[in-house]
Amino acid sequence: MGKANPQLELLPGTLDMLILKALGRGAMHGYGIAQILKQTSDDVLQVGESSLYPALQRLLLNGWVAAEWGASDNNRRARYYTLTAAGRKQLAAERADFDRMVAAIQKVLATA
Amino acid sequence: MTKLWRRLRYLQQRERMEADLAEEMAFHRAQLERDGAPAVAMGNVTLAREDARAVWIWPWLESFWQDARYGLRTLRSQGGFTAVALVALASAIGINTTPFTLFNAMALRPWPVRDPGRVVNLFRSMRGGVAGYGNAEADYLAAHSRSLSGVIAMDNREDVKSGGRTLHLTVVSANYFQVLGVQPVAGRGFLDAEDRAGAPEPVVVISDALWRNQLGANPAILSGGSPLRIALDEIPFTVVGVLPAEFTGTSPLRNDVWIPRAALKLLRPHDPSVEEYLTSPRTCCVSVAGRLAPGVTRRQAEAEIGLLINGYRASQGLEQGTRALVTGTAWMEAPGKKDKAAGAVVLLFVAVTLVLLLACANVGNLLLARAAARHKEIAVRLSLGGSRARVVRQLLVESSLLAIGAAALGLVVAYIAPPFLVARLGSDLVFHVTPDATVLGYTIAIAVVACLAFGLAPALHGTRGQIASAIKSEARFGTPRLPLRSVLLGVQVGISVLLLGAAGMMVRGLQRTAHLDPGFDVARVSAVTIGLPASQYGGERTRAFTEQLVAQLDRVPGLPLCGISSDSPLGNSHTSTALELHPGEAQQRVTFHEVSGGYFEVLGIAIVAGRNFTAQDAGRDSVLLNQTAARRFWPGENAVGKTFQSNARARTVVGVVKDAYTSDLGAVEPTMYFPTGGDRGVPLVLVRDPGPGTIERIAAIVKELEPRAELKAEPLSENFRQQMQPAIYGAAVAGFLGLLALLMASVGMAGVFAYAVNQRTREIGVRMALGARPAQVVRLVLGSSLRALVVGAVAGLAGTAAMSATLVRVMPGLQPSDPAAYAGVLALLAAAVALASAIPARRAARVDPLRALRWE
Repeated sequence: MGKANPQLELLPGTLDMLILKALGRGAMHGYGIAQILKQTSDDVLQVGESSLYPALQRLLLNGWVAAEWGASDNNRRARYYTLTAAGRKQLAAERADFDRMVAAIQKVLATA
Repeated sequence: MTKLWRRLRYLQQRERMEADLAEEMAFHRAQLERDGAPAVAMGNVTLAREDARAVWIWPWLESFWQDARYGLRTLRSQGGFTAVALVALASAIGINTTPFTLFNAMALRPWPVRDPGRVVNLFRSMRGGVAGYGNAEADYLAAHSRSLSGVIAMDNREDVKSGGRTLHLTVVSANYFQVLGVQPVAGRGFLDAEDRAGAPEPVVVISDALWRNQLGANPAILSGGSPLRIALDEIPFTVVGVLPAEFTGTSPLRNDVWIPRAALKLLRPHDPSVEEYLTSPRTCCVSVAGRLAPGVTRRQAEAEIGLLINGYRASQGLEQGTRALVTGTAWMEAPGKKDKAAGAVVLLFVAVTLVLLLACANVGNLLLARAAARHKEIAVRLSLGGSRARVVRQLLVESSLLAIGAAALGLVVAYIAPPFLVARLGSDLVFHVTPDATVLGYTIAIAVVACLAFGLAPALHGTRGQIASAIKSEARFGTPRLPLRSVLLGVQVGISVLLLGAAGMMVRGLQRTAHLDPGFDVARVSAVTIGLPASQYGGERTRAFTEQLVAQLDRVPGLPLCGISSDSPLGNSHTSTALELHPGEAQQRVTFHEVSGGYFEVLGIAIVAGRNFTAQDAGRDSVLLNQTAARRFWPGENAVGKTFQSNARARTVVGVVKDAYTSDLGAVEPTMYFPTGGDRGVPLVLVRDPGPGTIERIAAIVKELEPRAELKAEPLSENFRQQMQPAIYGAAVAGFLGLLALLMASVGMAGVFAYAVNQRTREIGVRMALGARPAQVVRLVLGSSLRALVVGAVAGLAGTAAMSATLVRVMPGLQPSDPAAYAGVLALLAAAVALASAIPARRAARVDPLRALRWE
C-alpha cells in the first residue's frame, strides 16, 4: 500500500457504524477514534476531521454516544465519547444490516 | 421527541457547544502535529467545523422547507378551499386585531414622551377614594422629592375661543416640557419665571397642528423675528414655542394650546377662585406626574411621596392619611380605570374571541373533510415509512401556512380599519392607531393559537385510521360518521347563536330604551345655551348676570315659562357634593343641580311633597330632593322640613320631586336641587314648546345684558339621542359580529352537508333504487347533522342566558329573558340551515341510482 496507493473512500453510512464499533472498546476522544480506525484497518481507513466531527455530532444528536471532558494521556483537556445503551442497540442493528448487504453484494459478484 | 429536545438544548447552549467543538478539533490537530502527520491531512478546518455544526440545524430546516413547499403546492391546487379558509380566518383575526389596536392605542400606550417608562402618574388614596393632588401640593413635591427627578402639574381646563375657533387648553407647570423631554420644534418651552402666581406672563406654546392648519405655519416663530401673538378668550398671548407633531399631549383628548398655570389669572381676571386654585393647599385636584430619579422604583417613590405629603398637610393643619399611588402613564394603569373599562371591554373581547373560535372550528371542519379526501395519500405516506409525527407535522405546516397568510391579511385589516373607525366617531380623541409591536405580537399569538386550534385535531384525526383498509377502498359504506365533525359543527352553531342572542337582546333593549320615559318631557323642551366672553366673566360678574337674566325672563311679557338650570337634563352632569345628615355622622355623596322653580314646571316633573322653589329661594339654603334621595336619607319619613349640613352650611328640605333621569339614562341617582345662584357658571334656559320668535326674544334679553354673548338652542331630544349613542354602537357591533358568525356557520354547515352527500352517494343511490322519495333522502342527509345542530343551538341559548347578566350590567335597560330575542335568533338559525342545505340536498335528491352504483 503506502503513499502510492490513494486512500479508499468509505462506503456511505458506514462511518457512524465504525465509530460506534470503535467505542465498543471504551471511552475515547476523537483523535483516538481516528487512530484506532487507521490502525485496525492497516492504514486503509484514514478518517479526516471533515468527516469525523460531523459524524460524532450526528451520533450525539441521535443519542447514540455521550460526551464528557477529561484529561488525555499527555494531560491535555480532551473530549471523551462513550457508547450509550441506544448506541449499542443501533450498532447491533446496523451491523446486521451491513452483514446482509455485504453478503448479498458478494453473492452477486460471485455469480454474475 | 427526545431528539427535538436535544436539538433545542443545543440551540439554547449553542455558544458552549460550539466552543466545545472548536476545542476538541484543536486538540485533534495538536495530536496530529505531535505524531508528525503531514499538514495536508488536516483538511479545511473551517469547513469541517461548519459541517459538524450543521448536523444540528440544517436537516431540520431543510425538512421544514420541504414541508412548506409541499404545503404551498397543495394549498394552491385547492384554490377554493384555500380561499374560503383564508377569508374566514383573516376576517376573524382582523376582527380581533382591530379592537385590540384601538384598545392598545387608547389604554395601553404610555404618553408620547422621552423614556416613557420612567414617567409616572401620581395619585393618592384617601378615605377609601382615589384622587389627585392640588397645585400647592404638587409644588411642594417638586421642591422636596428626591425619588422624582421632576414633578409636573397639568390640568385640562375649559376650551378657549380664538378668532371664532374653539381651542383645547391645558394649563401646566413651567417645567412640563422639560421633565417630559418634549423639545419644541421652534421656540422654547416655559421659563420658571412664567409660572409665578404673583407675576403671570401671557405666553403660550401651541401644537404643530394649530400652527400648521390655523396659523398658516407662520415662520415668524422660527426665525425669532417679530413675536407671533394669538388671542385666547380675547386676551393676547405671545406664542413662545411650537411642539413637534408626535407630541399630542398628556390626555387622550386633542390639545391645541398650553399655558403656564399662573397665566390662568390673565385668562380669568374676574374669577377669584383662580388664586385659590393656584396656591391654596386645600384645593384639589389637578393631574400630577413625575419622572423617577435614576434607580428609584415606583414603590420607593410611593413611600417617599406619602411621607412628604402627609408632613406637608400636617404643617397646613389639614387631614393626613394620604397613601401615595405611583402608576404608569398608560390610561389603563390609572387607578380605578380597570374596573370602569372591564365590563364592556371584556364582553367585546369575549365576543371577538368567540368569532375566532368559530372560524377555527369552521376551517378545522374544512381541513377534516380534506383529510378524509386525502386519506389515501396519507395512508400511502404512512405505509412508506413516514412516521405519524412526520405526517402530522406536514399537516400542521400546511395549517400554519394558512394561519400566516390569514395573520398577514388580518394585520392589513388592523392597519385600515381603526383609523377609519376613529374618523367615523369623529371625536376629539387623538390616538396613534398605527399597529405597534404589541399589536404585532398579539396578532402572531392569536394566529399561532388559531393554527393549533384548527390544525392539530384534524391532523391527529386524519392520521389515525387503519392503513390497509384505507388503501384498499375509499368508499366506506356505512362507516360511522366522524364525531369530531359534529363537534365542530355544534361549536359553530353554538357560537353564532350566542352572538346573535346577545345582539338580539341589545337591539330589543334599544327599542325599549327608545320608548323609555325619562321622567320628564323630552320631546317638547328646548335648551338655550348662553356663551359669555369667558375672560370678562366669572365670580361676582357671572352671579350678577344670572340674577338679572332670571329677573328679565320673568318680567318680559309674552314669553312662555322658562326654567333655569346649571346643566342640561340628560347632559351627563354628575357633579356631586357631600352631606352630613347629623353632625359628626358619616358623609354621603349626592348628585346636585342648580335650578329655578320654573325648571320643574317646564320639564313636567311633579312636586310630590312640600313646595317648589319660588323667587325668594334664590341664594337661600332651601333644597329639593328627588324621591330616591328622600327615601335613602329619611326612609319611611316625610323629608320635607328636615335639615342637614352640606359644605358647612345648614340646608332645609322644602320639597320632594318625582324621580327623573336628569343626569343620564343609566339610573336615577339620589339627587339634590339647589336654587340657582350662578356659582356654577352661566346657566342654561329651558323653554317648553318654543313658538316662532321665542328663541329670538330670549336672545334679545341676553344681548341686552351682554351684547357679545352667543346663544345656541337645541331640543332636549338631541341629548336623549346622544344618551342612546353608546347603546346604538354596542348593538351595531354585536349585530355585525352575530351576522358574521351566522354567515361563517352557514358556510360551515353547507360544507358539512355537501360532504355528507358526497360520502353517501352510493347509499343514496341504493335507497333511491329501492324506491326512496327525494324528501326522505334529504332528511337522511340532514339527519346526521341534526343532533349537532340542536345541541349547538341549545348550548348557544344557554350561553346567551349566562352572558346576559354581564350584559345587563354594561347596558342597563336590557331584559335577560326576552322571548322575542330568543325566538328571533332561532328563526334566523333555521333560515340559515335551510339555505345551507339547499344545494347539497338538491344534489342528493338528484343522485342517479345507476350512476351511483356504477361509481368506482
